[in-house]
Amino acid sequence: MEKIFYEPFGNECELFEKAWKNNLPLLIKGPTGCGKTRFVSYMASQLNLPLYTIACHDDLTASDLVGRHLIGAGDTFWSDGPLTKAVREGGICYLDEVVEARKDTTVILHPLADDRRILPIDRIGETLQAPDSFMLVVSYNPGYQNFLKKLKPSTRQRFISITFDFPSTNQEEKILVGETGIDSFTAKQLVSIANAIRSLKDHDLEEVVSTRLLIYSAKLIRDGLDPVIACHSAIVETLTDDVETQIALDEVVQATFGR
Amino acid sequence: MEEFVGELWHKFITGVAENPCDEKNAVELKDVRRILSIYFRALGGDASLNISGASATYHQARRSFFQKIAGSGKKIELSWCDAEDLRLPNKINYFQDKTLNLDLYFWLTGLATIKVTSSHDWMIKNQLATLALLDRFPGLHNRYRKLVAASLALRKSPNQLPKEEAEVEAAIQQALENPGSVTQVIDYQKPFQPVILWPHPTPPGISQAKSKAKDSEDDKHDESSKSEVVDNKRKHSAERVDAEDKKNGLLLMFRAESIFSWAEFINVNRPHDNEDDLENAKSALEDMDKLSITRKGKLKASRLKFDLDLPPDSGDEFVLKEGILLPEWNWKKQTLVPDHCSLKEICSDSDVKAELPQSLKVIASKLKRQFESLVSLRYWQRNQQDGEEIDIDAWIRLRSDISRNVSSAEEGLYQAHIVKERDLSCLLLADLSISTDAHISNDLKIIDVIRNSLFLFSEALSSTGDKFALYGFSSLKRSLIRFDQLKSFNEKYDAKIKGRISAIKAGYYTRMGAAIRHASSILANQRTSQKLLLILTDGKPNDLDEYEGRYGIEDTRKAILEAKQMGLHPFCVTIDKDAKEYLPHLFGVNGYVLVSKPEELPEKLVHLYALLTH
Repeated sequence: MEKIFYEPFGNECELFEKAWKNNLPLLIKGPTGCGKTRFVSYMASQLNLPLYTIACHDDLTASDLVGRHLIGAGDTFWSDGPLTKAVREGGICYLDEVVEARKDTTVILHPLADDRRILPIDRIGETLQAPDSFMLVVSYNPGYQNFLKKLKPSTRQRFISITFDFPSTNQEEKILVGETGIDSFTAKQLVSIANAIRSLKDHDLEEVVSTRLLIYSAKLIRDGLDPVIACHSAIVETLTDDVETQIALDEVVQATFGR
Repeated sequence: MEEFVGELWHKFITGVAENPCDEKNAVELKDVRRILSIYFRALGGDASLNISGASATYHQARRSFFQKIAGSGKKIELSWCDAEDLRLPNKINYFQDKTLNLDLYFWLTGLATIKVTSSHDWMIKNQLATLALLDRFPGLHNRYRKLVAASLALRKSPNQLPKEEAEVEAAIQQALENPGSVTQVIDYQKPFQPVILWPHPTPPGISQAKSKAKDSEDDKHDESSKSEVVDNKRKHSAERVDAEDKKNGLLLMFRAESIFSWAEFINVNRPHDNEDDLENAKSALEDMDKLSITRKGKLKASRLKFDLDLPPDSGDEFVLKEGILLPEWNWKKQTLVPDHCSLKEICSDSDVKAELPQSLKVIASKLKRQFESLVSLRYWQRNQQDGEEIDIDAWIRLRSDISRNVSSAEEGLYQAHIVKERDLSCLLLADLSISTDAHISNDLKIIDVIRNSLFLFSEALSSTGDKFALYGFSSLKRSLIRFDQLKSFNEKYDAKIKGRISAIKAGYYTRMGAAIRHASSILANQRTSQKLLLILTDGKPNDLDEYEGRYGIEDTRKAILEAKQMGLHPFCVTIDKDAKEYLPHLFGVNGYVLVSKPEELPEKLVHLYALLTH
């Protein structure tokens, strides 16, 4: 298995491991592109567990998670959904952006997320008991103040929670170097642009530049693209449609990389 | 004729003296203000500062022969930072290259983000700031070089100047070319040519402000609570002078028959009494280098509490319901005092009709288009008995059940394209207290911003089909709480409603709890599954009686908790800069938003609604 790059920011690895040992489900909060998904894949590889990732959306049904009957050659057969597979194999099931899923869908997680740790599958009349190695992890971005999209308290209170944020300057530089192989000077410059843009949060921008976008720009730059163009496409255009804000952000990029 | 020739001559001679560059290369602050302010914040500048135009100040440096004849070139616009603003030149037209003129704006903005504390000497400070900025943003090196080269070309060579001036000039040029190389403190005996790349050596207002640091605590408090008067384009340097009591014309003698209340008397000392000729006053203002404002004596008036009868109960409104009794929370006794407040529902006359103000039309149509996409949710509903397409999943399920000999419940085998209407109603409650009568700029009051917000909000929401109502409130003790109905849930947003919105005016005080309770009861009657109670305010709850400070806050908090228990979602939008101190307590950390620039409120409010409900 390819080694996954992850740069810890605190004691999150220890927390994850202890949660897994004690059969506790985990809720990860944090802005988009700050490393939530990467962290889960990293921990899965560290603990040597199979990982099933489900990106939640508002059309996700319970059978998408649990499984359904399919028709084969003249016969039907049952096909496990990702959640069922994870329970059977004793792996990690990771539901990304769980608030996007409809509330009736998330309810099927309840018996799995408390001390019963069971998954009833009505259609085949089976109730799976999750093995000790199974772990349920969900994540969402609390940044949106949307009252229509909130986790039900009954769902929320079944998890232990941890908040992710963008890494510190030094760590982010390390991440850029480690992830893309870019030189450390360019990484420094990219992170300084990111910090400048992040100070605009809530004032001029709704969402600020994520580590993921920095990695995108770093990859383009490493491949020989002019840094100003790379940052324009990967950061400025991505963050805003407003022309004046774009000009201002481009100036910030140019103040770092020059023209 | 004389005047005509004079004008021609003025035009000609100032043209000769002052036209180093084409007008087409000029960059004006008003065109780049917003970009610069984002740039300023991104580079680490203080987010609470506004960017505004600097007034021209005398530089007293040597002028050219023609400039002397023309009497021009005495003043120059330089940049500086004070407590509230970053002042930048209104126009930059020094260079033949438009990009360079623009770069100078960016350079000055960038330089203003650097704070140098290690030195007080102007020249050393600027060099250190330049070095620090270039170090933080190495990409600026090239541009700095170009700017220095271009601005040196505009300066006189030290050789052409008398000795004392030559020394300073040489030092300035060296400092520009090689920042950090001039380390000795220069003695500026003669005025030197202004340095356009650096901020103002002696910013107007700042030095005086420092010397006035001894002002009493009361003064400061008074100053901060006063609404600031801001000219939207240009700021004039102001100087505080002590009021000269002996010149006070009204202190002649006291006669019992002409009783002035104290507050009235104090305000007579205003220097801007004759405002009949506004045009003259305006041009005088522009010519004036400094405005002198008296400072002494005005204080007590603004601390006094007195009953304001400003907004009259004008004849063009009728009372809908009177004497609605509402409870109030007394936190000291920890009890809800029943029937403590009396609320009056008022509606302005329905005959007055109005159109959307012209200034809002463009933005309103833009918002409308954006909001149309919010109108409804379209999705495929599965397991339907009837529908446009076959539900393959359901069909497979049925087939597999049949082939496994499992009897399955009857299920629909079609999927239908469902248009789900948004099931949402929103009540917007606007604070129309006396404090909204304060100016935020020369021609804009808070109440105008609230009015514009109400307009844009209505325009946007009427295109979504969401049910909404608009109310305003103000109070005068517990016996009179005005509750202005601008638009009820049942009314259509039309010219009549627009008439009511354009007629809103600032009222009395802010008894927020009672208003929220009444608004909650209206909203709770709506039959939608989601109910949003948006509260638009500019300050803390307060009233003339005991309703202030903790009392008002606790009552408001109680009212909000009650609203939450009724299944409503209260959310507060405020422009009060101190909101962080009490709003989290009232609405919770995620229950409010602070709009730091009141003029941005109308658009922000609409976007916020989209964000909250999409």
